[in-house]
Amino acid sequence: MTDVEVRRESERRSADGAVEAVRVRGLSYQYPDGREALRGVDLSIAAGESVALVGPNGAGKSTFLLHLNGLLPGKGRGTVGHTHSFGGGNERRREASVWIDGLEVNDRNAREVRRRVGLVFQDPDDQLFCNSVIEDVAFGPRNLGMSAAEARGVAEECLRRVELLEAAERPPHHLSFGERKRVCLAGVLACRPSVLVLDEPTANLDPRGRRRFIGLMQAMDATLLIATHDLEMVLDVCGRVVLLDGGKVVADGPTREILADVELLERHGLERPLSLSQPR
Amino acid sequence: MPPDGLERHRHASSPLHRLDARVKLLGAVALIVAVLALPVVAWRGFGAVGLLLAFLVGLSGIPPRELARRWLGMFVLVAFLVAMIAPAHPDRPQYGLAAVAVGILIKNGLALLTMIVLAGTTPFARLLVGMRKLGMPAVLVATLQFMERYRHVLIDEVDRMATARRARTFRRGGALSWSILGGLIGQLFLRTFERAERVHDAMIARGWDGTIPSDF
Repeated sequence: MTDVEVRRESERRSADGAVEAVRVRGLSYQYPDGREALRGVDLSIAAGESVALVGPNGAGKSTFLLHLNGLLPGKGRGTVGHTHSFGGGNERRREASVWIDGLEVNDRNAREVRRRVGLVFQDPDDQLFCNSVIEDVAFGPRNLGMSAAEARGVAEECLRRVELLEAAERPPHHLSFGERKRVCLAGVLACRPSVLVLDEPTANLDPRGRRRFIGLMQAMDATLLIATHDLEMVLDVCGRVVLLDGGKVVADGPTREILADVELLERHGLERPLSLSQPR
Repeated sequence: MPPDGLERHRHASSPLHRLDARVKLLGAVALIVAVLALPVVAWRGFGAVGLLLAFLVGLSGIPPRELARRWLGMFVLVAFLVAMIAPAHPDRPQYGLAAVAVGILIKNGLALLTMIVLAGTTPFARLLVGMRKLGMPAVLVATLQFMERYRHVLIDEVDRMATARRARTFRRGGALSWSILGGLIGQLFLRTFERAERVHDAMIARGWDGTIPSDF
């Protein structure tokens, strides 16, 4: 390890010495058309935390999530403007802005980062591309290098966790929206991620499906980052809320504190959850 | 989406359903080649193949009505082909136009029927495994697999777009104008393109490295 690397290693550790599950520093991103999606986002999430990422449409939530998996900078190379720098210098290489478990998100680490970060997309049809549920759930484990039998075992276990083992051989288009959503979750769990990132997990679900999905999220022991408009769900699942607007973090704090701040919420196009305004 | 007509029968368990997909695949191709190799007017040959197919259909337990429905779906196309080919067919002077036309129709019908029986007795996933084991390139098999998966998503999307369009079209009946139809197709293309990007992202997110596993 060189001196620089040692310094960076220590930078990644928070005050109590634990490696942060997610560390983002000065992350900026411009879409190829010049639109600025993220302007210097800073965020740290400790292992085991459940964090909600809220904000109006177009705030940059989904763009931010894609960065955690190293999916975005790779595409827009050349147009990516990362505004911060470590110790200046004319380094040509892209400046790191995101670390997962202390691991820098870059092309070299992409494989390991993607194993650690499980990303559940909003539209299950984007994620389920195989012709049977079991194949789809086994896709991740297969990519991790497991044998077919091993991958199948893991897939079955994950399907059991989301209570869909009996649907294993069915094609995804025969499942309900809520079931497809749960298969997506199983497919991501099958990669055994340490950080689980969900984009609008409860959108378009019926109340029963939503309840069920919330129960599953509550049972997770991985670090959770959930982008959502469903603030009632946030109250149930997350201990901390990060409010993103205009590509920046505008508020970050305990869920009940932030979601009770009516003025703050309304300024950023959100609404105080009903259950907080009613005396219990 | 509920299963369509043939899909309902795909998971039955007749002897034909249980047969290895590879055998069925090779058998179907062989039968089709045989039908195509027959002269345009070969009533006995047609009869023999027809009998064989009737036997297979009986074995498979697929209701003949379902098969006929499928076949009629293709009939417009086949009839168009017959109208184009029959008048200029080299055997026309020998047998007459009607016989040649009926001959082409029967040959087409038998080949199609073979395909429909194959499709009706083999779940698509198993068909793909069969193709793979027979040595078909992985990229082709994967492409077929994507086609089958997103066919349904795409049809749903077209339905939704068409419904939305209808909800704002205040004329009664009549065909959509070309410009509207063009816009619809263009939009569908764009949506498909964007979806492809997202699907690709989702695959990469689960560790896909660009290679298609050999037993995919």
